[in-house]
Amino acid sequence: MSAKPQPGKDNFTRNLVIGVVVGVVLIMLVPTIISKQTKLAAKIPASVSAERGYGIVFNEELTGVPVIDIYEDFQCPSCARFEGTQGQYLDSIIEDKKATVVFHTLSFLGTESVLAANAAACSADQGKFLALHKMLYQTQPQENSGAWTNEALVAAGESVGIKSKDYEKCVTTGEYADWVGNVQASAAQSDVNSTPTVFINGKELDRNSYYDAAAFAAAVEQG
Amino acid sequence: MREFKLWFGLAARLTLGGVLLVAGFLKYDEIDKSQMAVRAYEMLPVSLANFIGIVLPFAEIGMGLLLILGAVTRITAALSALLMVVFVIGISQAWARGLSIDCGCFGGGGQVEPGTANYITPLLRDTGLLALGIYLFRYPQSKFSLDKSSHQNLEKGI
Repeated sequence: MSAKPQPGKDNFTRNLVIGVVVGVVLIMLVPTIISKQTKLAAKIPASVSAERGYGIVFNEELTGVPVIDIYEDFQCPSCARFEGTQGQYLDSIIEDKKATVVFHTLSFLGTESVLAANAAACSADQGKFLALHKMLYQTQPQENSGAWTNEALVAAGESVGIKSKDYEKCVTTGEYADWVGNVQASAAQSDVNSTPTVFINGKELDRNSYYDAAAFAAAVEQG
Repeated sequence: MREFKLWFGLAARLTLGGVLLVAGFLKYDEIDKSQMAVRAYEMLPVSLANFIGIVLPFAEIGMGLLLILGAVTRITAALSALLMVVFVIGISQAWARGLSIDCGCFGGGGQVEPGTANYITPLLRDTGLLALGIYLFRYPQSKFSLDKSSHQNLEKGI
């Protein structure tokens, strides 16, 4: 290491290395930035509203009722707990048309979240979103364990009574994959930093009410 | 003494560069979480936080590689030290404001259950790394560095 300085030669190697490192980083960075943009051309399920953050909306047409926005990731264990505590209540207020409920199926936990969210959108087209939603949380596997393949998600759909071949095609082709990215991008713009996160009429609900059936129902009724 | 300094410089480069490289590598393909981690500090407008959440892992990888290879050590060390100052400020303000967040230093991040946030470990680590960055800025010469024979460069301060 005590060699005499050879400025020309060493500068060349050094500058080449700098160029390569900076170049490689930029080549990786630019496509990532582009992939995180909202894709306006993405195919979206019929029950999705781009104005409502690309969420899957129930009772869109109602006015004068509370709007409940739920941000969740099918692989998130706390979301499974939330569904276990509040799922039936949410089903009932959707059924009785007492609230507009928007499900934002995020995918930040990894590939299997993307597959599950895509399958959920496919099930929405078959009118079985709530059933599949419940089923996926009840059978939630370990995060990214490889259990949620497209085949498994097709089977899960069949188990809740989806018979259409369109569902299978929609799941296996990842028909709504771009939409899944849009849901995530929209949640990022809405400053959602953990799951589940619930907004009632645009106001973030206190975390203590998430796993308490009575407190949650009270918060919804207050609006 | 000079010989020791060169070896210490190498150790500093590999430590600081290694930590940056690992931190970036663990985050670059989990950009949604990285954005979430930056937002959770509640320091920046949401759109800027989301942008930094994308760029930061790649910047860490680039700075880490340059430090490990010993190319433009001085500038990279200065940038790393600056980054550590930003991290220390970010973590301290989150702690002071009573936010419950994961630092998201090596992936993960976002809000955590109240009372489970750990701020001391990342603060100590980043302070140590800040010291290494400052050292390398002051004494960028080190063993096995691509900058090693470019004394003109060092004299020019690059």
